[in-house]
Amino acid sequence: MTAIEIRNLSKSFGAVRAVDGVSFTVEAGSVTGYLGPNGAGKTTTLRSLLGLVTPDSGEALVNGKRYTAMATPLNEVGAVLEATNFHPGRTARNHLRLLCVAAGLPVTRADEALGQVGLAEAAGKRVGGFSLGMRQRLALASALLGEPKVYILDEPANGLDPAGIQWLRGFLRHLAHDRGAAVLVSSHVLSEVEQTVDNVVIIAGGRLVRQGTLAELTTNGEKTVRIRTVEGGDLGPALEKAGATVDRLDDGALRVHGLEPEEIGQIVLDQRVVLTEMAAERSDLQKVFLELTEER
Amino acid sequence: MIGLVRAELLKLSTTRLWWVMLLVTLLLIGVNLAFFIGFAGNPQGGLPALDTPEWVQFAWSAGSGGGIFVMILGVVMITSEFRYQTITGTFLTTPRRERVIAAKLFAGLIVGALFAVAVLIFTALVVIPTVMIAGGELSLGESRVPQISLGILASLALYTLFGIGLGALVRNQIAGIVGAVAWAYVIENIFLGVPALQVVGKWLPGGAARALMSIDVDTGMDANMLPAWGGALVLAGYAVVFAIVASATTVRRDIT
Ligand SMILES: Nc1ncnc2c1ncn2[C@@H]1O[C@H](COP(=O)(O)OP(=O)(O)O)[C@@H](O)[C@H]1O
Ligand SMILES: [Mg+2]
Repeated sequence: MTAIEIRNLSKSFGAVRAVDGVSFTVEAGSVTGYLGPNGAGKTTTLRSLLGLVTPDSGEALVNGKRYTAMATPLNEVGAVLEATNFHPGRTARNHLRLLCVAAGLPVTRADEALGQVGLAEAAGKRVGGFSLGMRQRLALASALLGEPKVYILDEPANGLDPAGIQWLRGFLRHLAHDRGAAVLVSSHVLSEVEQTVDNVVIIAGGRLVRQGTLAELTTNGEKTVRIRTVEGGDLGPALEKAGATVDRLDDGALRVHGLEPEEIGQIVLDQRVVLTEMAAERSDLQKVFLELTEER
Repeated sequence: MIGLVRAELLKLSTTRLWWVMLLVTLLLIGVNLAFFIGFAGNPQGGLPALDTPEWVQFAWSAGSGGGIFVMILGVVMITSEFRYQTITGTFLTTPRRERVIAAKLFAGLIVGALFAVAVLIFTALVVIPTVMIAGGELSLGESRVPQISLGILASLALYTLFGIGLGALVRNQIAGIVGAVAWAYVIENIFLGVPALQVVGKWLPGGAARALMSIDVDTGMDANMLPAWGGALVLAGYAVVFAIVASATTVRRDIT
């Protein structure tokens, strides 16, 4: 069964069409990055999925059900939303315990989950004194309480230091790849999730602009080849004659757009120059992301 | 459902507000009692003498002053969820929101009743020795102690519900608390104090609570009081209305 299914989802706030006919799915065992600039509609989509926002039309289902129809939602879905959802005067442990009590889970899950996110030492401290990073970990702990198989995380990397982001990446990959969970994680910063996700869904202005595997998205971008020749051998004019666009880089190398590597090889042979470097460059995913989202 | 009510009680017991409120409540009642003791038998104050059953009746009802504090507690029980956005986690755990509201109201009744018990114990600890020392005789029946106690129990429990309903309606914590204070100290006092308005005042929660306790606080207004059972019905009616308001304003709203 499809873990997360969003079908033709639309939601307006007054005149703002926050989400406009969005559809995508997330399968078990994979991490999907839900990407888009601020205000793109990511949070609205995720909150619709969690029964916090009522969509105008369309459906948002987890395990084939609406969230509001679940008898024990914490056992099915773990959610991490904005970082401030805590009472500052309550300790981390008590915060989790009362969720356990409300959800009918054993209260021992509170300490176990705190251990899993590396907060065991801070369990008895009031959340008011927590850093943003600690709050994010606590939010993640609350998502782990019911040991669900579906995780929905809204900008979980916000406020984490580089080490924390590194840890989060590993943790999300572990949930998906080792434990077979479906993970949907949103971000407005591609580089945060680039190394974590298997699939990418890009949204801008409430509309879906691209969706596919990370590999598909990269190969759909423009191909470039970086070459360097020995001193004196300039390939630029010949390449341009063949239809390429050539950037002269500061370090003396050339970046060639618009030619396949084989075509460049032929020109090198024809021009009888000696190459010291030639590499196909992966297109810059960040650039693709910006291009896709900026035109909106 | 029991789990949900327990969770709501835990929300209160794991933060500090409840005992601050309890302390303030007991302090206020203590001040009132000190006043009643100090001015007992004083002809200008209109207070009966310490050794009379009327004085006991008077002093015993001091606990009804706790209404405002449990009302504030009720307001905070719901508005703090919006203030700190814990409502998100609450609704993620229990997506059927009417169940959350029901659990809050139920927990509110329990908290209000517990406050009443604390208040009554405190009152007893002050009043009984005072009467003994003054050489009076304590006649519970004659001083209508059981009836007043029940009235305090019911009205504190129900005032907590009003607070929850008010909180759900305004959602803003400051607005809710200001509303509760304005209600208890200004609006109700105007309607209960101005003779021409007492026709309306007796139907307000404060008037109904007084009727329930049948306290002769202001002899001028006895004629305008509901019978005790009427007071109980009016209070219960308010609780139902506030419960409906609380669910209706919360159940469909988007949490963004
Ligand atoms: N409660 C709300 N009331 C009015 N507008 C809202 C509300 N929530 C979101 N929006 C608007 O909907 C759009 C999408 O917001 P959001 O889903 O938060 O985007 P993202 O999470 O991608 O930054 C934005 O234009 C935002 O201003
Ligand atoms: Mg957002």
